[in-house]
Amino acid sequence: MKHFLAISAAALVIAAPAVAEPGKWSDEPVRIVVTFPPGGTSDLIARVLAQYFESEYGQKAVVDNRPGAGGTVAADFVAEQAPDGTTLILGNNAPFTIAPTQFEDLPYDPMGDFTHIAYLGASTPALFVQPASGITTIDEYIAQAKGDGITYGSSGVGSITHILGKAVDIELGIEQIHVPYQGSAPAIQDFRAGVLEAYYDMVALNGDLITEGETQPIALAAPERSAAFPEIPTFRELGHDIVIENWTGLSGPSGMDPEMVKTINETVAAIMQLEPVIERLAQFGVEHTPMSAEEFTTFVEGTITTWEPLIKAANVNG
Amino acid sequence: MEILAGFGNGLLVALQPENLLYCFVGVFLGTFIGVLPGIGSMAAISMILPLTFYLEPTSALVMIAGVYYGAEYGGSIASILMNIPGTPSSSITCIDGYPMARDGRAGIALFGSAVASFGGGIIGMIVMAVLAPGLAELALNFGPTEYFAVILLGLVAASAVSNGNPIKGITMVVAGLMLGTVGVDITTGAERFTMGIPEMRDGVHLVIVAMGLFGVGELIVSIRANAKGALQNEIDYKKFYPSRAQWKAMFAPILRGSGIGSFFGALPGTGQTVASAVAYAVEKKVSPNRESFGKGAIEGVAVPEAANNSATQTAFIPTLTLGVPGSASMALVIGALMMYGIVPGPRLLVEHSDLFWGLVASFLIGNILLLILNIPLIGLWVRLLKIPYRYMYPTIIVLICIGVYSLNNNVFDVWLTMAFGWAGYLMRLFRFEPAPFLIGFVIGPMMEEQLRRAMLLSRGDATVFLTRPISGALIAITVLLLIYAIASALRARRRAAQATDVSSEIEAPSTSNKG
Repeated sequence: MKHFLAISAAALVIAAPAVAEPGKWSDEPVRIVVTFPPGGTSDLIARVLAQYFESEYGQKAVVDNRPGAGGTVAADFVAEQAPDGTTLILGNNAPFTIAPTQFEDLPYDPMGDFTHIAYLGASTPALFVQPASGITTIDEYIAQAKGDGITYGSSGVGSITHILGKAVDIELGIEQIHVPYQGSAPAIQDFRAGVLEAYYDMVALNGDLITEGETQPIALAAPERSAAFPEIPTFRELGHDIVIENWTGLSGPSGMDPEMVKTINETVAAIMQLEPVIERLAQFGVEHTPMSAEEFTTFVEGTITTWEPLIKAANVNG
Repeated sequence: MEILAGFGNGLLVALQPENLLYCFVGVFLGTFIGVLPGIGSMAAISMILPLTFYLEPTSALVMIAGVYYGAEYGGSIASILMNIPGTPSSSITCIDGYPMARDGRAGIALFGSAVASFGGGIIGMIVMAVLAPGLAELALNFGPTEYFAVILLGLVAASAVSNGNPIKGITMVVAGLMLGTVGVDITTGAERFTMGIPEMRDGVHLVIVAMGLFGVGELIVSIRANAKGALQNEIDYKKFYPSRAQWKAMFAPILRGSGIGSFFGALPGTGQTVASAVAYAVEKKVSPNRESFGKGAIEGVAVPEAANNSATQTAFIPTLTLGVPGSASMALVIGALMMYGIVPGPRLLVEHSDLFWGLVASFLIGNILLLILNIPLIGLWVRLLKIPYRYMYPTIIVLICIGVYSLNNNVFDVWLTMAFGWAGYLMRLFRFEPAPFLIGFVIGPMMEEQLRRAMLLSRGDATVFLTRPISGALIAITVLLLIYAIASALRARRRAAQATDVSSEIEAPSTSNKG
């Protein structure tokens, strides 16, 4: 699938006669709205983008952090701006995939109110258990969950790790006991204190713990094995069709000029090929796949429908 | 030995140029704010909180701590020169400090206060370095069950020993707890009291509450109290150095004050104001020079200053090792750490030992910096007090607005802060303490989170709080403390009924209990 996408994207680029060139698209400085406070992965990705927009293409860009309410404050803000390419949002599954199902009174339409421009990449969560438990395979995990039961930590109700936990419950026919935390750091602290039996978290953020033998990865929720952690099997190859990715992309208000969208998409694609950018994103465990604006729009729409039953299962607010 | 190694390591962390710089910025800013009447360390910490998000956690903590004890230094300056406590806890310093200034001994009083503060700070630091690691031994056995038990103990301890009107105090704690429930319930995802406003989904931000209640609220109070303009006072500060006899007279009071201060600082819920009041009361009983107390005794300046500064250092012990804030300022410190994903508690010393020892070592450096900073700058602080309020207060309001807006780049937060400002003003008008409100607001959600997590982990078995050894012991202590508090309250009432003319030895000018 990934290769097919890559090839078709490449084919599009070659076949289209009047393709926009990568470059700058606005004389005004562009603001990239980030749904998280400064310092997080999302913020750092936006800053990398802003830096290369300017250094490679002379497009001035600033990062504007507007955190709050699972990214919906930022998305609502961007939806109301002029579609002139000067306001973009570094979107992700929180405001675009999860919020539409989680919140009934969402002030924006994730598809109708936005122009989805460019896909940046995704990082993937994995299932981790206590090394002392002796569990090393998914079948042993299922046996434990069906026997004495399993408690697992997530980074919060409705978070991607909670949704993955629910997907595992449904797909494996087990019922794990969910213990929500505020972010993955406190969950991992409790895990290391022996309070939790398992947790789900982004695999890239657990590299040190894995090497030190402090945590035992069981399975990865990616479509294929990670280049950085080739020893961790995917749920899919273990016979369980679970793919939950934490995606990131660039979007703007609805009604943007298609030529401009193409220019931004091409500019992003070119930046994502740069060696230092690839390295930087690899630190956050983000792997890039090229997509056209149309493919990215279809992708966002697809995540909303495929995740809907999982989010409903994960949420009392439903 | 382990303590020495930890401290040595901490010195290396604290001496990193970056941390040294933030330590300096912290103590300087703290002294500056402390000198300004009406604005205490609370307002100062909440104003720099948004700034610290851009720093390493250690630098941020070092700076916040610097502001905190820097404000205690600064507070005594306004107390001595103007008879206006710059911070609540330096109100005791007014009793002897101001008479000294009127006698033309302002320089000596300021110098004595700086030396006493330094002594108190260093002793408080030693107490923290020695005691805290012992508590960390418990680290690995601390899960949600134990956290809940220790927070419960902290809350009961705070209410058992704090002073003031208990009904109003409890009202404020409960109001704080209620405000703390606003937002998405972290255990179920249900929205609570958000009134359909998306900005409320994450609850009310700690900085907004703190800046509103303490920053804006205190400004409104000060404007009304000082409507006439700047303070004017002629001070002779030519003579700085205490005589040999005065040095000698200060030595023992500094030691006693530091001991009492360290003890009360480490007790959650008491804080520096109680520490300096008690230390002054004790000193007045034991000092050979007790007759001159209240008329400008140097001991009367040294004792409360030593006490409140050692208390500011030891206040970090329950805050960092138990996650129980002793005061509203310490609640802000916990809030700041949580923003970095660092959970204060016994495990902090194990998992973030650099942060802990770096902070302890920064106390030493910060106190030395303060000593160097304050002796030559006394003239500057005096002049600062002469800036008319019509320039000073608007500037502070603008700084508060910028600070709040920068949290989420959202104007809604600025309006909310102003609303809390008026709420804080009304609280003061009707003599409700905002500090218990803030403690309830910070502790409530933490307590709920740990309780529900413990219940999830025990699969709904509530006896787990009694059967797990540490948690069981903590609950037992809590019950004993409650019995003691009730019994002593009953005894006090009976005694009050028997003898109506029991006059207390001292009248503390302020019974407020904020950091």
